[in-house]
Amino acid sequence: MSVNGPHGEPTGARLLVVDDEPAMIRTLRTNLRGHNFQVETAENAAEAKASYDRRAPDLILLDLNLPDGDGFEVVRHIRERSGTPIIVLSARGGERDKVNALDLGADDYITKPFGIDELLARVRVALRHLARPKAGTERRIHSGELVADLERREVTVGDRAVHLTPTEYDLLKVFLTNPNKVLTDRMLLQQVWGPDYGDESHYLHVYVARLRRKIEDDPQEPRYLVTEPGVGYRFRSEEL
Amino acid sequence: MRRVVPYVAAIAAVAVTTMLIGLEASRAPLANVSMLYLVAVLIVAVAFGRPAAIVASLLAFLSFDWFFVPPTHQLVVANPEELFSLALFLLTAIVTGTLAARERARAQEAKQREREATLLYEAAFLMAEPDLERALAAVAEHLRGALDLDGLAIETDAEILPRPAIAARDEAARLALRGASSELRVLDPHRRGRRIRLIGPRQHSGGRVVRVLPISAAGARIGRMQILRRAGAAELGPSDERLLAIAAAQLGVTIERARFRKKALDTEVLRRADELKTELLHAVSHELRTPLASILASAGSLRQRDVVWTDRDRDEFAMSIQEEALRLDRVVGNLLDLSRIENGSFVPHKTWHDVGALVEDVAGRLRPVTTEHPVRLDVQEDLPPIELDYVEIQQVLSNLVENAAKFSPPGSEIAIRVGRDDGHVRFEVSDRGPGIPAADADRIFVPFVRLSRPGQSARGVGLGLAIAKRLVEAHDGAIWVDREVREGTRMVFTLPVRGDVR
Repeated sequence: MSVNGPHGEPTGARLLVVDDEPAMIRTLRTNLRGHNFQVETAENAAEAKASYDRRAPDLILLDLNLPDGDGFEVVRHIRERSGTPIIVLSARGGERDKVNALDLGADDYITKPFGIDELLARVRVALRHLARPKAGTERRIHSGELVADLERREVTVGDRAVHLTPTEYDLLKVFLTNPNKVLTDRMLLQQVWGPDYGDESHYLHVYVARLRRKIEDDPQEPRYLVTEPGVGYRFRSEEL
Repeated sequence: MRRVVPYVAAIAAVAVTTMLIGLEASRAPLANVSMLYLVAVLIVAVAFGRPAAIVASLLAFLSFDWFFVPPTHQLVVANPEELFSLALFLLTAIVTGTLAARERARAQEAKQREREATLLYEAAFLMAEPDLERALAAVAEHLRGALDLDGLAIETDAEILPRPAIAARDEAARLALRGASSELRVLDPHRRGRRIRLIGPRQHSGGRVVRVLPISAAGARIGRMQILRRAGAAELGPSDERLLAIAAAQLGVTIERARFRKKALDTEVLRRADELKTELLHAVSHELRTPLASILASAGSLRQRDVVWTDRDRDEFAMSIQEEALRLDRVVGNLLDLSRIENGSFVPHKTWHDVGALVEDVAGRLRPVTTEHPVRLDVQEDLPPIELDYVEIQQVLSNLVENAAKFSPPGSEIAIRVGRDDGHVRFEVSDRGPGIPAADADRIFVPFVRLSRPGQSARGVGLGLAIAKRLVEAHDGAIWVDREVREGTRMVFTLPVRGDVR
């Protein structure tokens, strides 16, 4: 099973593709099989849930727009049972839907129409997270020049020590322990400020801007803390 | 003539009283005699008012003196005591007469006010009707009847009241009012923002005087009332004038309210149109982007160099590209068709065709769409040829079959039946899908209306049936949802057998 593919990803992983467009299903199935994945497909929410229960796939590609009910129901169903990565496929303009799906526990999203390489890259990232030790258990986190020592609460960029306020540090820690994962404003607010927060996105924007000034070479063109327009932020880790 | 009546009555009352007293004079004491005269004066006062009462008092005084106070038949009074009681009598007669007359006037005024209040209350009640045209017509008729006028017209901005509300006793009165209003319309073409009219209080129309009363609201003139009195009737009394003035004020409020309501409605219509446009753009872009996503993913796959695709893989990608490109073409075609039909540049090119061949042609072409459904054709043998536009009717049938395939579960049958039906050829497309709720059976032919069921998103742009309906109607046919079907949906359309039937 853990033969590594041409890109170093574990091959033979089982994927479940859920989409109501036959042409899209056919294309994804053919392509993913060609990339050595095992592919199951489902055309509606009921089939998707049944397939998940039966086959326990390693990753789910899920279109939110399903004929017999919404894709959110599928996200909920899976999250009640496991942390299997879910990548949501959704139409452009459906920012609300993406945020909802992510808040429900989806791991990532990709906007239709998408480039097939981009999709494969996201699939690989999500699968690699599975293979790595549980994020947050490591004491030192690297990404490019950014190094964080979680035991000593120290952050350095290159050989420069970065001084962070407690809130800034907490926020950065959430990012560092969820590398390459889209985090919605709500998730970040609740993890850093507490469960009573969720709508105060402006707090978040202020702190993200401060963090960028401290850790990014060019805060206008962030290398680590990337904005996901209309959805939230993503910490782009270079250690994969 | 009417003015003399009270005085005649006063004279008559005193005369009759004098005669009655004369009959009994020998027995009755003088004091009682004077009381009888007082009664007569009171009656006159109550019945005819103050002037008549004063005349009656004077006459009674003179008659009393002349006939009953000794020496009789002279105005001279012998006893100075008699003179005193006579003077007292005159004073009492005048005072009681005046008081009684005033009471009468008060009662009359109260009655008048009550009538006004009732009239205005009724008018206000009529104005509460939400349809302004009907409300004003009812009010006009009500006021006309109450004031006994020949005609009454209410006019305001043509934008909220296209025609003046006219109440008239007869055709002549109606014409006089209408004439007056058309003369005025020339003066003021009801332009927005130019509501003040410079018109005199009277207009002459057809030889009759039409009085004009402005209707104002919040200091601006927003309309007018035209009043046509009964031919030969007296001027309106102060009470009627007051009534009209209050009615005009109430009308002002009513009209202003209607104007606000219309403004709110216009805004709402604009908002809805805007919403519809947004929804349409959303639907169209989704419908265009869905096939594009598959095309891009397939094309991207073909170009990937990290995998060596088998011929079969390549074929699958190519098939996705081809199918989805055709689908895009259909969506764009439908959009173009609708715009062509909507702007009226669509004329069917009719020639004679065999219906059976057309149906088979459609079934064949749609095979890629109906792969997941068995399709049953049931075409009557001896159908006559029909004059039709082959491309257009083929599209109608295609749209129906595509819908059936799209909305019914995979594996369920789609049936196409064609048969003769009373001078028409009847086409039926049936599926075993969820069916169409009776309430939506007509709505689905409206452009961009898509049905969504609970827990299911609406799909498609909502053009197929709208186009089908217009194409069938251009062939003098009809299209509808068969409501008698219990399971699934049956769409029916008919075309006349004789192409020249209009």
